[in-house]
Amino acid sequence: MNASTDKDSEELRVMSYESKEKEDEKMRRWEDEKKTNPNFSTSQVPDFKSSSEFKTQDSKLKVFLKPSRLRRIVLFSITVLFLLQFLRIKILVGGPTASLAFWSINLINVFAFLESFAASKSITMQALTGVLPVVGIYLIFGRAFCGWCCPLDFLFEMVGKLRVKSSELRVRDKKKIKIPALQTRNFRRRNQFIGYGIVAVLLAVSAILGVPFFTRYLSHLTNFFMVFNSSIFLALDLPVSKTVLIYSGAAILSLLLLEYVVPRTWCKILCPVGITYGLFNKVSLLKLRFKEGKCGECNLCEEVCYMDVKITHSLDQPGLRDTNCIYCGRCAEGCGTKGKLVSMSLKLRVRS
Amino acid sequence: MNFTRRNFLKIAALTGATTVIMNNLSVLANTTDAPSAGSNEPLPHISAGGLIRPPGALPEKAFLATCISCGVCANVCHVMKYDAIAFAGLEDIKNYGTPYIKDMRDFPCSLCMECPKHCPTGALQKVENENVAMGMALIDLGLCFGWNGDVCLSCSKACPLGAKVFDFYNGEWGNQPFINEACVGCGLCVKHCPLGGSAIKVVTKKQYQNVKASYAGEFRKLLAMSNEERYNIVYSQNIPNIMERGRLVEREYR
Repeated sequence: MNASTDKDSEELRVMSYESKEKEDEKMRRWEDEKKTNPNFSTSQVPDFKSSSEFKTQDSKLKVFLKPSRLRRIVLFSITVLFLLQFLRIKILVGGPTASLAFWSINLINVFAFLESFAASKSITMQALTGVLPVVGIYLIFGRAFCGWCCPLDFLFEMVGKLRVKSSELRVRDKKKIKIPALQTRNFRRRNQFIGYGIVAVLLAVSAILGVPFFTRYLSHLTNFFMVFNSSIFLALDLPVSKTVLIYSGAAILSLLLLEYVVPRTWCKILCPVGITYGLFNKVSLLKLRFKEGKCGECNLCEEVCYMDVKITHSLDQPGLRDTNCIYCGRCAEGCGTKGKLVSMSLKLRVRS
Repeated sequence: MNFTRRNFLKIAALTGATTVIMNNLSVLANTTDAPSAGSNEPLPHISAGGLIRPPGALPEKAFLATCISCGVCANVCHVMKYDAIAFAGLEDIKNYGTPYIKDMRDFPCSLCMECPKHCPTGALQKVENENVAMGMALIDLGLCFGWNGDVCLSCSKACPLGAKVFDFYNGEWGNQPFINEACVGCGLCVKHCPLGGSAIKVVTKKQYQNVKASYAGEFRKLLAMSNEERYNIVYSQNIPNIMERGRLVEREYR
């Protein structure tokens, strides 16, 4: 018992230390702005006290099911539905790249469809009927696939926790590993265009080689599915090629390693699946909306955001339409105004 | 360490995970795929000439371009309780991750045609059973019971297309079956052949075009052979071979 209380206090100490550091930084930022901006009014002073309290307590969002918990429930139930296929139950058959819902509806990943189209230079009826429901779904939910259905998102979050823990154990102050080239402002601004470049290059490679290159060899979704599928088939003593399991396992492990070194670089810059879904964010019905209320400018929402979305930049707009937003809801949870400001909602756009 | 419930769960989970991983590693250690032991194959001088694709597959190049390795066909096959489809490994980098019928001796295709129906990209197209072109089954005439003085007919009974595919050359040497070009290559005959290790091999249609002449020549030579010559071959070579195989390869039906 004694040991556990010790550990708890330790954690608390680390957290308060961290928040104190952040607080100091914010204070410095605020002072700087005060110096440079003559119109800066003191009413804009952020509520530092509440913001530092946020970290020590779990969350201030007063909702029965917080997005972070709901997200995990959704992912878990989808995984269970996928696992049911190994018991020969026909609810969701296939993998995350493409699947068969209720033995009748084909679903196919949009990027995989594009790549297959580029490689074969022809379009089949099946592919078209498979991609249309998915396009429909993402016209409503935008890039929510990444935050709510992608298994790698969950694994990455676990790696993030491991990262924090191990660095807590090793060094006193948690310093993020930063690669200077990735941190510059210019690079961040160009992220999006790098992403589109990668999508274009991969499509071109597929067209030249005549195989859906990314989806077959590199895709995290395919590799994740192969790891699951082959290990279960191996356990059931069914025909599998063992090299498939070895290769895909190695691919997933290297992705996790990448995540450990440079967090969320895969999601933000490299993953073409997420980038194609990100385009749907521009027109989707679901969007990040700001409630009536005053922003304390504590920047907590941007700090907890995985995807570096500049949330506070679009406060004056009716909703956020950033291609990087995965609708994980962490900003709403982390908001210093106790969830009064940011919320996600389905909203019909009305043209005026 | 204090023994709380949390710690207990942690230890239990860790032990479970390690055992599972160690098991998997020990299985992975022998990467050679056991069932197709080289010398026990029928027709050892003819290679399969590529992968036997699931039914209704597009021509090889178009298939490679269209298939996205999503795994729907393999899992549909699993749900239908046939388990025929596996994914090609890294040995053949061009075909990596594409579906094929791996082990026809135990898991042949039964032409239920659920995989082409549900393929999301159309790499497998819906076709009639007779127009499927997965491959071509070749009987090893030196091992087949029917060609060596017996009446077996197991292959023709197992065939989903039946009389269309089989020509019988009935004579005093038995009920000699011959598979003609109407064969779709599903591999059900491979599974149901009573010979240890099966006397039938499925090759791709392309490979069949290559070996067609030599195989047909062998077949005609055997038919034209005089009884005495045939007697020598059957009793000095073939029957000892067949007996040997029955001893070496135990036939296990799943």
